[in-house]
Amino acid sequence: MNAVAVAPSAAAPVPLDDGSRGWALAAAALALLPLLLTLPPGLAAGFGVTAAVTATIGWRRPLPGALRALLALAMVAAVFAVMGTRFGRDSGCALLAAMLAIKPSELRDLRDARSLVGFALFAPFAAFLLDQGPLVMACALAAVLASLLTLQRLADLEAGIAPPPARQRLATMGRLVAIGLPLALLAFWLFPRLGSPLWGVPERALARPGLSDSMSPGGWLDLMADDTPAMRAQFDGPAPPVDQMYWRGPVLLDYDGRTWTRSRWLESLPPPQVRSGRARWDYELEIEATDRRDLPALDLPTTVPDGASLSHGFSLSAPRPLSAPSRWRLQSAPPLNVEAELRPLVRQHALALPPDHDPRTRALGRQWRQEAGGDDQAIIERALDWIRRDFSYTLDTPLPGRNAVDEFLFETRSGFCEHFSSAFAVLMRAADIPARVVTGYTGGYRNPLGGYWIVRRMDAHAWVEVWLEGRGWTRVDPTAAVAPERIYDTLEQRASAAGDGGLGMPRLADFGNVADWLRRGWNDLVLGFDASRQQALLRPLGLQHLQPAQLLLLFAASAALALAGMVWLLARGERERDPLLRAWHRLGRRYARFGLGRAAHEPAQAWAARVAAAHPRSGPALLALSRRFAEARYAALHGGIGRLLDDLARHRP
Amino acid sequence: MPAALRDLRTRLQALERPRAPERLPVRIGRRRIYVLPTRFGLFYALLVAAMLLGALNYNNNPALLLALLLGAAGLASLIASHLQLSGLQVDAVSAEPVQAGEPMWLRVSLSTRDGRRRRGLRGDLEGVLAWTATAEDGSAELALPVPTRRRGWLDPGRLRLSTTQPLGLARAWSRIWPRQALLVYPRAEAHPPPLPETGSDAQRSRVHPLGEEPHQLRRYRSGDAPRTIAWKHSARRDSLVVREYERAQQQDVLLDWAALHGLAHEPRISRLAAWVDQAEREGRRYRLRLPGQADTAAGRGPEHHHACLRALALLPRA
Repeated sequence: MNAVAVAPSAAAPVPLDDGSRGWALAAAALALLPLLLTLPPGLAAGFGVTAAVTATIGWRRPLPGALRALLALAMVAAVFAVMGTRFGRDSGCALLAAMLAIKPSELRDLRDARSLVGFALFAPFAAFLLDQGPLVMACALAAVLASLLTLQRLADLEAGIAPPPARQRLATMGRLVAIGLPLALLAFWLFPRLGSPLWGVPERALARPGLSDSMSPGGWLDLMADDTPAMRAQFDGPAPPVDQMYWRGPVLLDYDGRTWTRSRWLESLPPPQVRSGRARWDYELEIEATDRRDLPALDLPTTVPDGASLSHGFSLSAPRPLSAPSRWRLQSAPPLNVEAELRPLVRQHALALPPDHDPRTRALGRQWRQEAGGDDQAIIERALDWIRRDFSYTLDTPLPGRNAVDEFLFETRSGFCEHFSSAFAVLMRAADIPARVVTGYTGGYRNPLGGYWIVRRMDAHAWVEVWLEGRGWTRVDPTAAVAPERIYDTLEQRASAAGDGGLGMPRLADFGNVADWLRRGWNDLVLGFDASRQQALLRPLGLQHLQPAQLLLLFAASAALALAGMVWLLARGERERDPLLRAWHRLGRRYARFGLGRAAHEPAQAWAARVAAAHPRSGPALLALSRRFAEARYAALHGGIGRLLDDLARHRP
Repeated sequence: MPAALRDLRTRLQALERPRAPERLPVRIGRRRIYVLPTRFGLFYALLVAAMLLGALNYNNNPALLLALLLGAAGLASLIASHLQLSGLQVDAVSAEPVQAGEPMWLRVSLSTRDGRRRRGLRGDLEGVLAWTATAEDGSAELALPVPTRRRGWLDPGRLRLSTTQPLGLARAWSRIWPRQALLVYPRAEAHPPPLPETGSDAQRSRVHPLGEEPHQLRRYRSGDAPRTIAWKHSARRDSLVVREYERAQQQDVLLDWAALHGLAHEPRISRLAAWVDQAEREGRRYRLRLPGQADTAAGRGPEHHHACLRALALLPRA
């Protein structure tokens, strides 16, 4: 039966029915979800509740404007209260989430619903700026699907037709995405990438805990509980033993009694002379998005990748904050002698201590120096013996007071790497040995699947380097003296030690291996794809170093090809289905050029007779063809029509 | 809308195919289908462009994929809306004549042969809209209330068949310009004077089985309706008699153009049209005498009614 409906005018707003309203709200909620996942939990919960409440109240009638404005102001105030007034990427996203949360309060007609869905699609995009993990990705995909389905439903509402069954709608949507997908993937791989951003990437207003330019004991507590991967390393050839895997991050030289910081001016000096050991480690580092520039290379990097820079303390830095996963090809070698000659200025810095802090430690250092005379090594051994004997490892530490190192060395005597390295460096400086704190990661876990090493954020570590006459800067890890298992062992080893090797554990670890392997593949294939990878992809095709303009041309050509494919699909969709009729019509068009086209009402035979009279040369053949055509079409003779099709195609006036 | 823009729009519309009326049936092919984004489609495109730019700037690949996926789905939806129209055949256009001033229901018969369902097809003509969808057998009918303003032949003009399916991002449309004129009857006068009676008032009677006045009794003949049998009289006479009725037989009405010389041209037509309707309603036989035309034969019934109104509708304009 025919559905006939009449609408008087095109401009009248179409009111929403309950079903469409529900779909629009569900799509917006799904879109908001990934954004909420990336925001601070308190703020996210507040926004979620607000969204639910406004959607419920606004279901029947829109909220009054004044109330909406008040709500919006309150949410903006909440964003600034939680995230501070410094505007960052995350506070921008929080504001977007706030706006999206109150948008359902004015859902009246079709237009409102469409704009809600449109703005909601921006939410997963914003979430990707903060987090590119699989969870956010899955949420975003669900949101996109729900949004498209909602748009479909709204189009039905506009046309005043009942929505078809869910399966049919999904099939329609699937076809749309399937038709568009080749073009999307083509564009993804070929669209020219910007070598450098057009405008700066705003940083987060709230930094994630992690390696940074400063370290104050006790500051890494959150970091030590974060088991997400920080980076992965794939070695070409041998890997160093786990207790030699010190991934070197920022080197901290300045101490103000509480916090260790980088010394900017000193770092700008060229890196000093190094004599390396025989071993060589070639590896590729895949660093997860951090917003930092540090490239934690193995102690010590011997090459500097393109664009990166090496500081005086041998910390590698990328040219830009690594806001997306990136890969770096690196080479390291164990050092034998670093900076054999210590410049007086550097030496002075590496011995500096704030004068009015930690009197007991300073006194102890002076005393040990007097007892040891000129033997630096003896002082170090003595300190390590003391730590090994009297100290313990714990993450449960009190907040430090004014003399943090004194309190640690003489009172609490327990802490984690930040406390140990800080106190050890201060003690060494007090004993007139140049010392500095190095932050970075230690150890790693080898994933048997793929054979690469995972370094987690909780593997963050701080150790000490002391300068010794004739040996240069030498690594001393006081934490390893107390709790080597806490440093080198990984989450997996700790987990299997805690559980008693039951049946469940290995399987769980296997699952983790597979998950991380997939995650790495995703990083590798999608997240880390950039201008240089793009060039590498084209190299096997014989295309070397394409300029952006050439790349654009290549993209345009392929896009044109894809569009041509779509047009072909169109033309195919509307052509005659019956091959016999198709051939017959084509034949008719050939005669139409001579003004002998077949009229719509004319039977095939009559037309052929008319043509034969006007066109005696090909007439008899056409008459025979038209008879065969009529027989094949109406008498349904058995046997193939292939011969007839061929003859029809070959016939010329 | 500024005048210049409206002017440009009219000029662009004039370029759309078909540029001349055409004979039905017409199959809508790709050369006469136009697709342009709707306002929401433009908003969507802007959104996707902003996402693309942001994703490229931040080298954020998931965001880029998201934007590309949305963009590609949007592009594919353009193709889908094109396919909604292509292959659709407009078989016929028809309408029952109505009085000028009343909406005329224009029926457009559509059919498809490819088995694809068409949903949310919109027809619009001079600001009126109607929606339809194809049924299982691929046929559909669109009924548009076209406004009529004056009597005579109405050229329906270019009908626009459009759809925003499947996502509402783009409108695909195609114009149909049937070479077919539709008849509009003259507007009938609202309160016409009574029908003109000519000649004497003498009324002839005619026997009619459905009359009201009893006329006479006669013998039963096979085929008489049982309810006409006069049972009491039959009992008395021992044979069946039936009652015959008579019905007032009025004279034919002559509706004469020349007799209405006091009225202007169009009101005269209106008066005649009203009388034609009235005579038809009252069941009288009527004749129409128009200048420069032979008298119509006296008669009644839908065909006669239509013939008279058609003659009135097609009178030259003053």
